[in-house]
Amino acid sequence: MSDKNENKIHGVVAEFTSVASLLAACERVRDEGYTKTDAYTPFPVHGIDTALGIKPTVLPWIVLCCGLTGTATALVMQIWMNSINYPYIISGKPFISLPAFIPVAFELTILFASFGAFFGMWLLNGLPRFSNPVFTDPRFDRATDDRFFLYIDAKDSRFNQTQVEKLLADTGSDYVQSVVEDESPKKVPKFIVTTWITVMVLSIIPLLIVLKMRVTNSGSPRFHVFYDMDFSPSKDAQQNSTLFADSRAMRPDVPGTVSRGQMDLNFQTGIDVDKLTQIDPLGAERLVFAVNADVDPATKDEKPEAAPPSVMDTTPWLKENPREITLDLVEKGQQQFGIYCSVCHGLNGGGNGLVNRRAQKILAATWIPPSSLHQEILYADKYPDGKLFNTISNGIRKMPGYASQIKVEDRWAIVAYVRALQNSQNASMDLVPKAKQKDLEKKKSEIDKKLKEQAEAEKKAADAATAKAEAEAKAAEAAAAKDPT
Amino acid sequence: MSLAIPVGLNNSTERPGERAPLVLGDTTYHDITETVCQVAERKPSKAWVIGFLIAFALLQWFGICILYLFYTGVGVWGNRSPVFWGWPIVNFVFWVGIGHAGTLISAILFLFRQEWRTSINRAAEAMTIFAVACAGTFPGIHVGRAWLAFWLAPYPSLNLWMWPQFRSPLLWDVFAVSTYGTVSLLFWYMGMVPDLATFRDRSKNKYRRMAYGILSLGWSGSSRHWMRYEKAYALLAAFAAPLVLSVHTIVSFDFAVSQVPGWHTTIFPPYFVAGAIFSGFAMVLTLMVPARSMLGLEKLITIRHLDNMCKIILATGSIVGLAYGTEFFIAWYGQVPEEMFAFQNRAFGPYWWAYWTMISCNVISPQLFWIKKFRTTPWIIVLITIFVNIGMWFERFVIVVSSLSRDYLPSAWAYFTPTWVDWSMLIGSFGLFFTLFLLFCRLMPIINMAETKATLAKQIHIAHMDEH
Repeated sequence: MSDKNENKIHGVVAEFTSVASLLAACERVRDEGYTKTDAYTPFPVHGIDTALGIKPTVLPWIVLCCGLTGTATALVMQIWMNSINYPYIISGKPFISLPAFIPVAFELTILFASFGAFFGMWLLNGLPRFSNPVFTDPRFDRATDDRFFLYIDAKDSRFNQTQVEKLLADTGSDYVQSVVEDESPKKVPKFIVTTWITVMVLSIIPLLIVLKMRVTNSGSPRFHVFYDMDFSPSKDAQQNSTLFADSRAMRPDVPGTVSRGQMDLNFQTGIDVDKLTQIDPLGAERLVFAVNADVDPATKDEKPEAAPPSVMDTTPWLKENPREITLDLVEKGQQQFGIYCSVCHGLNGGGNGLVNRRAQKILAATWIPPSSLHQEILYADKYPDGKLFNTISNGIRKMPGYASQIKVEDRWAIVAYVRALQNSQNASMDLVPKAKQKDLEKKKSEIDKKLKEQAEAEKKAADAATAKAEAEAKAAEAAAAKDPT
Repeated sequence: MSLAIPVGLNNSTERPGERAPLVLGDTTYHDITETVCQVAERKPSKAWVIGFLIAFALLQWFGICILYLFYTGVGVWGNRSPVFWGWPIVNFVFWVGIGHAGTLISAILFLFRQEWRTSINRAAEAMTIFAVACAGTFPGIHVGRAWLAFWLAPYPSLNLWMWPQFRSPLLWDVFAVSTYGTVSLLFWYMGMVPDLATFRDRSKNKYRRMAYGILSLGWSGSSRHWMRYEKAYALLAAFAAPLVLSVHTIVSFDFAVSQVPGWHTTIFPPYFVAGAIFSGFAMVLTLMVPARSMLGLEKLITIRHLDNMCKIILATGSIVGLAYGTEFFIAWYGQVPEEMFAFQNRAFGPYWWAYWTMISCNVISPQLFWIKKFRTTPWIIVLITIFVNIGMWFERFVIVVSSLSRDYLPSAWAYFTPTWVDWSMLIGSFGLFFTLFLLFCRLMPIINMAETKATLAKQIHIAHMDEH
């Protein structure tokens, strides 16, 4: 109907105002035998596919292939990276641990399939396509608003402009228009091309610089964008620093630090170091040295316990426990004694602990029985607290040193408890508070009585057993005498 | 034509045997175009300008804080031994969770043919993308040397000669969140193309026409195109639905696969997903209810839409509440002393205030939605959903901080205190989110016009059938 220009006719388009009228027109056009048709609608119209005879799309198959590619990519990538090229050796775990690879495989399946659906759809639709003859008609702008357009392409074998226009007008369309070639210039505006080229060229420059730097050698130091920790400032003792509030580069000791050589030697070794210095200055020096470098194997032999026994007697041991004797201390000592000492020395210190009993039972040949702690030579007057401490720390005969296992203060607690143990077994009655003496004596006599009765009973039993054995022996003799053979 | 639409804007009443209309008034296709396009075409309102300036200022502050962090190091945060995850990870999980509602509305409600989604899905999808952008920022800067974050990718490194550890949930997370961001973006953009074409065809300005012309890829509305488009859309929805469930499941693996008491539980995946949907819907409502009245969209985003979303919040909020209870039950039932302590410590330890804020915001406040009046009164909805957002932030805080601050080694226990940088980054991330969202409102079609028109077409069709 319009012949405002003589350009090539692409087809004819007709406008409709409702879905129903569009569908009716589509069906009519289809029944007339036109196949190169299309409808333009602002929203997907239900039923238009059959009305126009549109075939289903292959898109789902494309998507399926993409999805499977995603799964395969993920599995191959993970197995190659984590199991073949750089296997992680963790305990006896399998290199190809499929369950751990499933999450990434799932994500990549979805990702690839989504790419397939998204890009596949645009590709099949032939989009992006910015120049489309149907856009030449300003009225066609309403195809994305509220109007429905039916289009018959000029390429259709049955296409005849007058006939088509008549057919479309018959379907009830108020507006039928031929679609003509887009006359606007095909060339992309110059400024867009120029800008595009400039940006592309400029963006290559940094890449080229990086590439050149990667392949050439340079004598100058590396260029650091981020310093990371490559240049940590190192400060001298007397310099100042902005890192700390007191601006001192050298940090004060952590509270409780003991400097080398500043240890309380008396507490640490059980030796009265002042006295030792008077008697044996060289020995004292060696002691200080040995304590401060106790890991040095060269000085190990110089330790006091390795010295000849006479030294054990001549050493001025501390006479008294340097810790204040309290109930807590003794209880702590009891606990530690229970853990470390009682297995050999027994809970009462009598020298018959579990280990000793076992050794006796199996007749262990090299076993030296642990000492009873209730011998007079081990009492405080003959065996000073310091010496006892030294024995716990460094061992004696078969007994190993416990310095590495028991803390210094706990060793002193054990010393205190051993003294209490010794008192418990051999103390004189006047050490017991008067109020308790009577009770104690009563108990003692009761126990003595019981023990006596027990002893008598045992003796009687033993006598009876002996008598019986003798009688049996006599009877056997008599029997032997009677028997002539 | 009569559409059998009740008078007024309240369509929340159920009428037996009748489908409630989702587009109200004597709306035509053209009215829908006008209503949605005027949002972007008219001059920006004063409220929009003020809101944008505030959001943009916060975004700048966020950027400055990130630069300060890069320059100084991660010590600017409150993250100290043993709480090395701190606020960055709390914020990450918070934002990722919010980013779940968009895809859920788009994909799952689409697959279930819930037509009421059509007028809210666009904004919800946009919200998803922006929330994922906020979420992605935090692990990116939390790695410490953020300029080396590309080490997360499995690329053939000439310096390291090694590959990432694919057995680690943290790496799964990288794949899950980046896949989710990408697929959501594709889904969002694809859904927008027909509407961008509408924008193109309405624009009077040459450059505007050119810009929208490029963005709409030459969309013409051809039926053949629509057919492939709908197929692709359905496929993307079918992929996005399991994807959205997998993402928060994998985020929960970050915690559940570790051995920290309070994290090492099998309930985490479903519990995290329910929480994500819960917080996402709350955020959608917090944004949409004011936007709906400010932008004049009441006929398209109806009371029924709000009512439906409130019901989802009620359902997921109850699931979350049940999960909190189950955690305690399992801790007791399992009889692992550390686990039992972790939960006792959550509720009555030094972070009791965070725990009870969480409980009152997440479990108690959504229960108000049992009452219909609360589901249909916009200002009450906004109030409750803001509480839900606060509660969900605290949930992540409780999980991350209270578990880490007291684990197996009592000598390492410590109390976490955030610094001003932590606070700034949390607030700054809202600046990023709102800047993007406000720009979206001005530049993009905020409601899916094509789908809403299709819903209207169906409504007209049904009304037509009734007449006969």
